[in-house]
Amino acid sequence: MVAIESAGITDVGQKRTGNEDAFYLDDDLKLYMVADGMGGHLAGEVASALVVDTIRDYMKHFKEEGAVEELEDPDETLSKEANRLLSSINLANKGVHQVAQSNEDYQGMGSTVSATFFTGDTMIVANVGDSPIYLVHDGGIELLSVTHNVISEQMAINPEMAKKLDARFKHMLTRGMGIEATVEADVCEIQCFEGDILTISSDGLSDKVSPEEILDVVKAEQPAKACQRLVDLANERGGDDNITVIVIKIKAENEKGGIMEMISRITSHLKKIFH
Amino acid sequence: MPTLTLTFKDNTIATYRIEEGQSLTIGRKEINDVPIENLAVSGHHAKIDSVGEGFLLTDLQSKNGSFVNKELVSSHWLKDGDNILIGKHTLIFTYDEGEKKPDEVAVDMDQTMVMDTDKYRDMLAQAMPKAAKAEAQEPVGILSYLAGGEGEIKLVKKLTKIGKSSTCDIVVGGLMVGATAATISKRPQGYSISYVGGMAKPKVNGATVKESVTLKDFDVIEIGSIKMQFVSEKQ
Repeated sequence: MVAIESAGITDVGQKRTGNEDAFYLDDDLKLYMVADGMGGHLAGEVASALVVDTIRDYMKHFKEEGAVEELEDPDETLSKEANRLLSSINLANKGVHQVAQSNEDYQGMGSTVSATFFTGDTMIVANVGDSPIYLVHDGGIELLSVTHNVISEQMAINPEMAKKLDARFKHMLTRGMGIEATVEADVCEIQCFEGDILTISSDGLSDKVSPEEILDVVKAEQPAKACQRLVDLANERGGDDNITVIVIKIKAENEKGGIMEMISRITSHLKKIFH
Repeated sequence: MPTLTLTFKDNTIATYRIEEGQSLTIGRKEINDVPIENLAVSGHHAKIDSVGEGFLLTDLQSKNGSFVNKELVSSHWLKDGDNILIGKHTLIFTYDEGEKKPDEVAVDMDQTMVMDTDKYRDMLAQAMPKAAKAEAQEPVGILSYLAGGEGEIKLVKKLTKIGKSSTCDIVVGGLMVGATAATISKRPQGYSISYVGGMAKPKVNGATVKESVTLKDFDVIEIGSIKMQFVSEKQ
């Protein structure tokens, strides 16, 4: 298992009166997530909190129960753990949708979610909406989440046409938690390495601070300090939205493999031969 | 004092004046200032408010949406000559000649919103006729055996495991090969191969992979006894 050092903070920003972001981090469970709520009055806060709590409880349940309950209709292209994370997202979506449907005050509320779950030596990254997850690896920074807004979606289809769309499309999401009865998260599973750094944030950060700047800050600072520095940067530049950021550093990789694995393999081979 | 001209198929049906400090509602119901009797129009479809120096059109979460100059809007600062499409009717917003017009006001879209999927498709069909039909196609990576096996393998999984263990997606023989020697992951930016464990590290184009590298078309991957070539294809 990988060792992880993490920190996360959320800040209301300079313009908003309430904070509709929610986040969760747990180095034991190895689960990290940010949810950016939307909807009038307190609905945005309700939606993002519900998303985070549902996913946390579901993933905790799996850890504590130990046993792996067979999932209905698993996605065969994904690992067991990734399917588990997807199920938790589906459940959270259903929860928000039901609350939104049943309570007039919460009608139309929704949230984004960007989650990362570490298993053994891989990380599973899943998201719905536009809260970015960045991976810093080998001196570069790469977006691991898929941005579900109109501009990004059109860029993938036809970059020339998409350039003509104006800025208002940027904040128009094409997918959100709780908007419809079902949701499809984008998932990727990748190997993680010592020295990798992951950031999960709300767009309140990414609208103000470039990936290159995020890279510089997280490389230079420890997670807690890096979080504060990034939030300060976004606030200095207007802080138009709530700002949430989690920084995760991978400390050391599991020393499985190599010579020890080979020795154990040889012994098992010998056992077979002499059996 | 701007004028709203209600038209249907190029025929003018009515004209309305909107004054500063005044609001005007648009909808199917009689009670509206601008009633439009058509099933494509919601009971309370949209409204125009005088805000500061300008006039703001707000869609009242109507079923079929409000479009200004063929673009779906939730709220929009009206400019001289704007065409507002409500159902099948068009309202043309014009200032009187010589009348003082407000500077173009930037639309406030800081508020994040989620698009209704149907509305989104409709709007795109209006704004970008060709694009709306084309779905984004993700390329799929394909590994073709050059040695140590035959045929090709489609990389449909998010994480494809290569190694000696029978749980791997691509099983490779050899004493030096790890139970899981390497993984290929599908990321938003493309495919990458990572070394996981074992004495035999994977090679890409002859160079040993210590951690992970992005795969490009025609890269040659070697692990233990197998040699494969990577290409990505649009399906």
